[in-house]
Amino acid sequence: MAPDLKEIIEALIFVSLEPLSLEKIKETLADHPPEEVEQTLQELLRDSAAPGRGIAIIQSGGGYIFTTRREFDPWVRRFLKIDRKSKLTSASLETLSIIAYHQPITLSEISALRNVDSSYTIKTLLEKKLIKITGRKKSPGNPLIYRTTERFLAYFGLNSLEELPTEEEIARILGEEKTVEQEQKP
Amino acid sequence: METSESYQVRLEVFEGPLDLLLFLIRKKKIDIHNIPIAVITREYLDYLGRKEQINLDREAEFVLIAALLIHIKSQLLLPREEPLLAGEDPRRFLVDQLVEFQKIKAACSLLKEREEEQLSLWTREILPPLPEPGEPDLVEVSLFDLAETFFVLMKRKEAENFKVVRGKDYSLEEKMNEIIAQLEKEKVLDFLEYFSRQETLEGAIVSFFSLLELIKARLVIAVQEQLFQTIKVWLRKQSPMRQ
Repeated sequence: MAPDLKEIIEALIFVSLEPLSLEKIKETLADHPPEEVEQTLQELLRDSAAPGRGIAIIQSGGGYIFTTRREFDPWVRRFLKIDRKSKLTSASLETLSIIAYHQPITLSEISALRNVDSSYTIKTLLEKKLIKITGRKKSPGNPLIYRTTERFLAYFGLNSLEELPTEEEIARILGEEKTVEQEQKP
Repeated sequence: METSESYQVRLEVFEGPLDLLLFLIRKKKIDIHNIPIAVITREYLDYLGRKEQINLDREAEFVLIAALLIHIKSQLLLPREEPLLAGEDPRRFLVDQLVEFQKIKAACSLLKEREEEQLSLWTREILPPLPEPGEPDLVEVSLFDLAETFFVLMKRKEAENFKVVRGKDYSLEEKMNEIIAQLEKEKVLDFLEYFSRQETLEGAIVSFFSLLELIKARLVIAVQEQLFQTIKVWLRKQSPMRQ
């Protein structure tokens, strides 16, 4: 029996430690029509989303990767002896979203938006490889320019910067806050 | 008037002055585009005067915005020769900043949800190696750990009522060679022990600086089993100076 294309793709995603991009899958399966590969991949994703398994394939960081399912997090952590994964501090998160939306951006521009000196936070984010230096701005002092990294995308399960929360989503959140406040009014 | 109990909020809650301003604006249910500067300034200054802890670094940033608020108010009060044109509101700069910051905060809350979700998904790549039972967890120490250890040691030395003998000069180079020679003989050096063996305070300090120099030159590797424990020093293999 000839191996099923779907099973082949599943095997490729399984061995890949990095999110496996669609291009890479197509490249590997060059003997199959690209449309067929794409369609089969979609089938595979649907299959993997079906209940009854501990793992699933998700799209993240510009590719496809096996992850455990959410609901098994407590057991995975028990197995790995990790109490909880450390989250970003609110200062880090704030700085990171400024960089994400305003990149390319310099330290002084970030600090001006937050009205808080952000050099320490920048250092932490660089260490975590969530941001990177991409050059210098041609302005007085030639300050460094920062951008978010691929790891940033993967960290938040995004495939590209276009998937960041949109203006509309943000407006909705701000709108919700307003309605809540109005309800609270006696 | 609000009672003081209504905002017993600690400074740590606010990452910066804009956080505090937004909080006050929301609390007073103020339209961000039409801020009564006098009211908000009073609230803001009230808060600054009330908080218990003062972090000097952050303080400056909070005071800067207070100054901006007062400046805006003074501009609004001063009589003008010509009336303000539409869109020439002195509050404009602050409002723009606040609106943008509000958006950032909203984006933050969305990203936080995503972070939460992603952190409960585990991929194979991030599996940390499980520590082998019985094997000490060695960490390569940073300069700060070293400095920390140094201060602990200094305290100890002080307690020993160290006799300061003047007259003997220590050279960094000599000490570095001494440490290297020792390492070539014994392979591993317990730095705490080596440090304690120093006869004088100068000797102890110079030996610490020598260690820092050697680490910087990548001639030795310093490892600590746990923070504040002793530091073990090894020669880096194939270091150029050992030929």
